[in-house]
Amino acid sequence: MALFATPRSLARLRCRRRLFLRSFSSEHARDNDIVIVGGGPAGLALAAALASNPTAKNSLKITLIEGGDLSKIQDWSMPPNAYSNRVSSITDTSQHFLNKIGIWHYVEHARTNPIHQMQVWDGISGARITFDASEIPESNEMARMTENLNLQRALLRKLSDTPSVRVIQSVKVESIQREAGDRNDWPLVHLSNGATLRARLLVGADGFNSPVRSFAGISSYGWSYDTQAVVATLNHAPRGPFQAPNNTAYQRFLPTGPIAFLPLSPCTSSLVWSTKPHLAAALNKSSPGVLAQLINAAFRLPEPSFQYICKRLLEGVNSSEEIKEEIAFRERSDGISSHSAYASATSMISDGGISPDDADALPPLVISIQQGTIASFPLRYNHAESYLGEGAGSRTVLVGDAAHTVHPLAGQGLNMGLGDVDALSRCIIQALTHGGDIGSYTALMPYARERYFENHKVMSAIDKLHKVYSSTAQPVVWARSVGLEVVNELDSVKAALMMNAGASSRLQNANGWDLFAKSVGSLAGAASTSKMVGEMVGAGIQVLAKNAGERFFGRH
Amino acid sequence: MLSAAVRPTTRLLRFCQNTRCFQSAAATSSTVNAAEIAHFSRLSSLWWNEQGEFSLLHRMNPVRVHYIREKLLEATWEDQGEDARRVLESKCAVLTGMDVLDVGCGGGLLSESLARLGARTLGIDASESNIGIASTHASGDPQLSSSGNSLQYRHTSAEQLVKEPKRFDAVCSMEVIEHVDNPVAFLSACAQLVKPGGHLFLSTIARTPLSYFITILAAEYVFHKVAVGTHTYSKFINPSELISFFQTYRSSPSSSSNPTNSGHIGSDASPRPWITHTYAHGLPTRSEAEVRGIVYIPWSGEWKLMSRSSTPWGAVECNYLFWVRRPLDS
Repeated sequence: MALFATPRSLARLRCRRRLFLRSFSSEHARDNDIVIVGGGPAGLALAAALASNPTAKNSLKITLIEGGDLSKIQDWSMPPNAYSNRVSSITDTSQHFLNKIGIWHYVEHARTNPIHQMQVWDGISGARITFDASEIPESNEMARMTENLNLQRALLRKLSDTPSVRVIQSVKVESIQREAGDRNDWPLVHLSNGATLRARLLVGADGFNSPVRSFAGISSYGWSYDTQAVVATLNHAPRGPFQAPNNTAYQRFLPTGPIAFLPLSPCTSSLVWSTKPHLAAALNKSSPGVLAQLINAAFRLPEPSFQYICKRLLEGVNSSEEIKEEIAFRERSDGISSHSAYASATSMISDGGISPDDADALPPLVISIQQGTIASFPLRYNHAESYLGEGAGSRTVLVGDAAHTVHPLAGQGLNMGLGDVDALSRCIIQALTHGGDIGSYTALMPYARERYFENHKVMSAIDKLHKVYSSTAQPVVWARSVGLEVVNELDSVKAALMMNAGASSRLQNANGWDLFAKSVGSLAGAASTSKMVGEMVGAGIQVLAKNAGERFFGRH
Repeated sequence: MLSAAVRPTTRLLRFCQNTRCFQSAAATSSTVNAAEIAHFSRLSSLWWNEQGEFSLLHRMNPVRVHYIREKLLEATWEDQGEDARRVLESKCAVLTGMDVLDVGCGGGLLSESLARLGARTLGIDASESNIGIASTHASGDPQLSSSGNSLQYRHTSAEQLVKEPKRFDAVCSMEVIEHVDNPVAFLSACAQLVKPGGHLFLSTIARTPLSYFITILAAEYVFHKVAVGTHTYSKFINPSELISFFQTYRSSPSSSSNPTNSGHIGSDASPRPWITHTYAHGLPTRSEAEVRGIVYIPWSGEWKLMSRSSTPWGAVECNYLFWVRRPLDS
């Protein structure tokens, strides 16, 4: 009997038990190479990316699980003039990736809109920076506004043409366990339909409250911003005959948070207004007519006047006429001419006429809000401490929002997720070429190394930008305004910033930094007084400038 | 009692790996060092902890496989031209249809990778517990355990295996030769197991002050990356020593797996050595043999395969890979 106590005989028993399990309940412990939990853009894109590669397609058994009903998204359609309120800016880098994996072709292009220019200004000082796609060599657009559902539908259509990926929808993950035994203890995913999936690699694409992350025992750090984002789809008149088409994104940094206007079509745009929760609640409750006026005022009125309007709203002034009267009063007292683009309540500009000189500095006047599109959600900052599970949580990897959640002011959330998926799929394919075990830490390490610091950099820049612009302290306002204006005069620095932010994947690193180096060189070389200012403000400006560059790819 | 203790082991191995013939008798060959075996047996339960004792080895594995793949593609180009190379490159499983031997397979790190790339792989090790660990580990992976006989493990040594008729398209022995007592006998046993036109891959450590500093002083004593006693400086082998061995090593015609194929050589012609030409600085021609340094980059946590142009002798003063091909006409 002593003989059965040896480790090897125990191992033998385990072998036997395993065989028993396999032969009698193979339906309940199906072996998979990759189990992706979550059918959002990141999870779907990972499945599509792997299926688009012949090596991965032929050698991997992939299952994706989604608790919701994906068929609704697959059949999603909207009238041509109506748009969903969740919109993302897809950067050039992300487009390039989506093209590579054969998804971009499935996106309904008529429902997307290019961004050729971005204008961002300081809510207090009015200091402004303009980014133009023409400043980036060999690129004609910075990003493309795309409804999240349009992208998700494209991914689902692609996957429905891809039988090698099994998509299980409307089935929830009940629990995740580690396989008993000390051999290869793979994760076992128990589903609400009674099935169990055994995963060589378990991918958590399951969002902020990721069950995969909890299973893997990966902690995350972060905080809620005292901020809510209000989103809506806006209707407005088309741009005037002497103006550029509706391809410019606008963002104004108010001390309560940034308000962004993101063009979707000639007469439709998307709103993302990040603001304090009590104000967000009031905006959310207000009638569409009132909200439209408040949006127009938020882009136009001087900060103290707008603050006053918000105060009135919070005091319960909520009829359209009263708000209009309040705004008109402030416009008159601030001396805004009714023929200026800065006038909204008192505006005398008629559609189709000649637009005022300052019209390009502001988004068009919002006329109405598409019904049922006003919504709000809380904003937070969250970053997992690791993207790879270890020890009892080994064979797990996190992508997208399960790994990181950011403030939407820079529109990087979805792009970061797509960047993760690109890196992870390349890493998996590389491991396959080298005969690696794709669930192993060693095989996945390059993914974490490629993405963790990259994401962290973007996330902290966005976070700091949020904080710098929340301040109303004079020195901070002065510094950030001078920084923004100096950078605005340095075209090549801006080009470098835009490229660094992923506007052009082809030119990304080397050329971007070449340009940057050149511009710094010219700055140092010419000792003119204006450039002296640049040197004086020095490194602080560069940090701000970099932040500004990274923020420009506005999402929502 | 002894037979009773051996039997479950035998059954375990048969059960998990369909091992055709398990040799219960311990290998007694002269190149196997008893103290070395005991040392690794103690460590064998840690073989598959990727962050543990063998983390450096786990990280080195993709580089080794990358090198093997690269050389096989190059040989295909040499033999069959660019088109054949392209066809092979487009396939993930570049080793499909090949018989590959992994001498000193340890926990099976390399063997598993070779099997995943399609090779009919045999992993052998002088430590019985390593074979147990490797077999058990592979049995948990459906990709390895369900594909018939593609991955087998046996507790035996290269010297024992030479006595059998089976020969291999590629023989790999990674980080082993610096642990054996008689490297010349070991090398010739490995060489005898290679089919004509087949490949021998070795990786080891050069005997230089730098390698002493890195692999023993730093890795074992200072940073404790590797267990103390893993390496013995005097057993390290320089690339030039491997090259000079194969400059004189000639396969005996009888070692070919299929004597009728090699019978076209005149019976009086003695086979040519594996390395016939070297350049002035002592390096072999690229189609016969190659030495490539691999360097651990601590800040990225990865091994890097040095470029061909970085030899001689900058990059090969510590860890290196060695490849030599048995002449087709030997």
